[in-house]
Amino acid sequence: MEVYITGVGLTKVGRHFDLGLRELAARAALEALDSARVDKVDAVIVSSTLSYREAGQFDLAGHLAGALGLKGAQTFAVEAGDASGLAAVEAACSLIRAGSAGRVLVVGVDKLTDYVSSRVYRDLQRLYEAEVQALYDIGHAGVAGLLARLYMERFGVSRDTLSYWPAMDHSHAKHNPYAMLPFAIDPAAVPKALKVAEPLTLLDSFPLGDGAAALVLESEPHGDARAKVVLATSAAGYPSFTMNEDPLAPESVGEVAARLREVTGIAPVDVDVIELGDTFTSIGLILAESLGLSEPGRAAVDAMEGRFTLGGDGPVVNPSGGLKARGHPVGATGVYMVGELALQVSGEYPGLKVDGARRGLAVIASGDGSSAHLVLVEGVA
Amino acid sequence: MEGRPEGKTGIHGWGAYVPRYRLPMSEIARVWGWAPEQASGLGMKEKAVAGPDEDSVTMGYEAARNALRRASIEASRVGAVFFGTESKPYAVKPSATIIAEALGITPATMASDLEFACRAASEGLRALIGMVASGLIEYGLVIGSDTAQANPGDVLEFTASSGAVAYVIGPREGAVAYFEGSYTYVTDTPDFWRRAHQPYPLHGEGFTGEPAYFHHIENAVKGLLAELGLKPSDFDYAVFHQPNGKFPLRIARRLGIPKEKVLPGLVTPVIGNTYNASALLGLARVLDVAKPGDRILVAPFGSGAGSDAYSIVVTDAIEERRSLAPLFDDYLSRRKEIDYATYAKFRGIFNVIK
Amino acid sequence: MSMDLSVPETWRVKGALYRLEAARCKACGRIHYPPMPACPYCGSRDLERVTLPSEGVLESYTVVYAVPEGSRHKAPVLLGLVRLGRVRVVAEITDADPSELRTGMEVEAVLRRIRSDREAGIIRYGVMFRPKLKGGSRGG
Repeated sequence: MEVYITGVGLTKVGRHFDLGLRELAARAALEALDSARVDKVDAVIVSSTLSYREAGQFDLAGHLAGALGLKGAQTFAVEAGDASGLAAVEAACSLIRAGSAGRVLVVGVDKLTDYVSSRVYRDLQRLYEAEVQALYDIGHAGVAGLLARLYMERFGVSRDTLSYWPAMDHSHAKHNPYAMLPFAIDPAAVPKALKVAEPLTLLDSFPLGDGAAALVLESEPHGDARAKVVLATSAAGYPSFTMNEDPLAPESVGEVAARLREVTGIAPVDVDVIELGDTFTSIGLILAESLGLSEPGRAAVDAMEGRFTLGGDGPVVNPSGGLKARGHPVGATGVYMVGELALQVSGEYPGLKVDGARRGLAVIASGDGSSAHLVLVEGVA
Repeated sequence: MEGRPEGKTGIHGWGAYVPRYRLPMSEIARVWGWAPEQASGLGMKEKAVAGPDEDSVTMGYEAARNALRRASIEASRVGAVFFGTESKPYAVKPSATIIAEALGITPATMASDLEFACRAASEGLRALIGMVASGLIEYGLVIGSDTAQANPGDVLEFTASSGAVAYVIGPREGAVAYFEGSYTYVTDTPDFWRRAHQPYPLHGEGFTGEPAYFHHIENAVKGLLAELGLKPSDFDYAVFHQPNGKFPLRIARRLGIPKEKVLPGLVTPVIGNTYNASALLGLARVLDVAKPGDRILVAPFGSGAGSDAYSIVVTDAIEERRSLAPLFDDYLSRRKEIDYATYAKFRGIFNVIK
Repeated sequence: MSMDLSVPETWRVKGALYRLEAARCKACGRIHYPPMPACPYCGSRDLERVTLPSEGVLESYTVVYAVPEGSRHKAPVLLGLVRLGRVRVVAEITDADPSELRTGMEVEAVLRRIRSDREAGIIRYGVMFRPKLKGGSRGG
């Protein structure tokens, strides 16, 4: 059974001090329903990661569905760390393909600005193995910092070269009306910015922001479907990146890339546009290389040479601005990605548009690769 | 001497620990407006300061680990862990069990924290001698460790420092040094105290000297010598509790012991007074250099007040054990100088909302 | 009165945190840390507890300035990726200035306070690593 994306709702990522979790989620959800021109759904799946600690609402999916007047819908929440949004899409596709639901509303939401940053950093640590490793004060950026140094020393890549990755994200984000940081940055500014986890700085790191995104997924295209979901899958890796044979090549990411090839016969490099879960510069580089978009040690150089932007010879990577510049409202991010890709392949994307894009791929590895999630969408025109 | 219980027992392993950070005396004088000569009058150069992730438990653990390595015994053979401190991380909840657990000594062991100002660990040492001699336990571990507190601005701040020491006590056979005798002398003398719930101790200033430190150590040593039939000149080294750099030399002079026998074990001028570790850390420094056959006089003191005196004789086994753990001087040479503000942060002197 | 840190959790993990207890898989021979209910490599449940070496090599490090709440007193937090025999461990580095850290340097385990729960709650102790003490051939 096919799964069509018929509705997309995106809110601008930012500091929504005036909106509670429910109100923020509702804005995206209602916009998605309106864009699909429907007002009832069979199921509501909510994706949220931090909200259980930050907003403290249990049965978030039930509460939200009720608040949207969707009583009676099947409802549950999905949590997969940084990749929750993609996991929610995977769950929605499974419901539809199994015939359990014909129309599913997926809502991703998180607020990272309701508490002081140091508390959010402590909560974000829980993306990493939390029974021992994250009992240390590793912060939200510590592991990415370790990987960045490992990467630089292994491949002889300079700090200045790394900076081209976030600069690429920002150069894309300046066109995105939903981006938290819609402006370009000078790569030379990255190493001089506030250090977060050496060698990484604030300009290598996703910003703390709030956001919600929503999708309507259906078994029938009913009128103007934007895209169809070709594959939504995920693979568990190791409880800690330290267990990978090579910490710079997380096995979970290699596994989802292999599955993409097996199921669809295409490799990541074959798609037109990719949204990557680049929480930090080092994570972006590792993801790009583990997916085969670049040779090991080359992703930053490829970004510098424009390979991943319009006119480059690779897929356009992160036209949204990526996690660095669109932002990373954790549980919502995967939903943003799939929504953005659906709009790309239907030619409706309001930001950096990849003309003629037919296939779009979203990939997020949670934390340090405990699991990797992948969604491939395709235009229906 | 053979008939005494002490003679059946000895030291199997010793272990020192001194934290990395040093606060020069000039910093304290600068911040609190002391006369520049104040510190030199105490025979002090600088003091050791525990880092922000250290406390008496973590320091005591490392000293104990060093002692166990030198003893070269299975941790599970230790039947008692005594932890002497006046800076317990928990007022209620034993520190000894944390160290025992981390070293793999638990669960078949006694474990408790002892309190007698600066001489609690020494009381533990004497108790272990009795317990080993009686056959109640095979080996015992005693630890003296303190992140000593002093009211900021009090003269005590020049000396109150951080450090730890530990000893594995066991049968005389196989020991690196054996005990010849021990003697304890205590009275109710309130020279120094810290009231319950108070962060810093107070003291009787000059009253800590003659009626407290000198009176008790002198009588403990004289008691020991009388029991053993020894005289001061029979000892190759003498180590006394060292609240500052001057008192140990003065008590030695009074007992007729030359300065040269005191200086090898006099560590306070360069690390400060480590309270429960003080004299026993001086002994560790002496064991780092002593030769088989050397006889050592050790006399810890604790306010409130009491002193123990021990006669210890080094055996041939010492040479092979020495290299199994870092020496006192290895820790001493690991030195990072800090300023008063850093010291204040490390020791929690700032009032912050947690 | 409230506590941020779980007391039972602090108690449960002491084997890993105090003594670097890891698990060795009897089926595939691989060691992992911290111990999991089954071997992450082959899925076997036939595991035995082993203790990791207390000395190792720093494979990577970072200086964390964006510190989580409750750790300002030790900021910046030094974090290390330490290789202990065949196993890698992530833990804090202590007793070092950021400028002395080098990949490839020898480090050794020490017991430190990882966290203490405000003024009155539990204190969590565990292994951190420091540059190997000089004269460290004696460190054993």
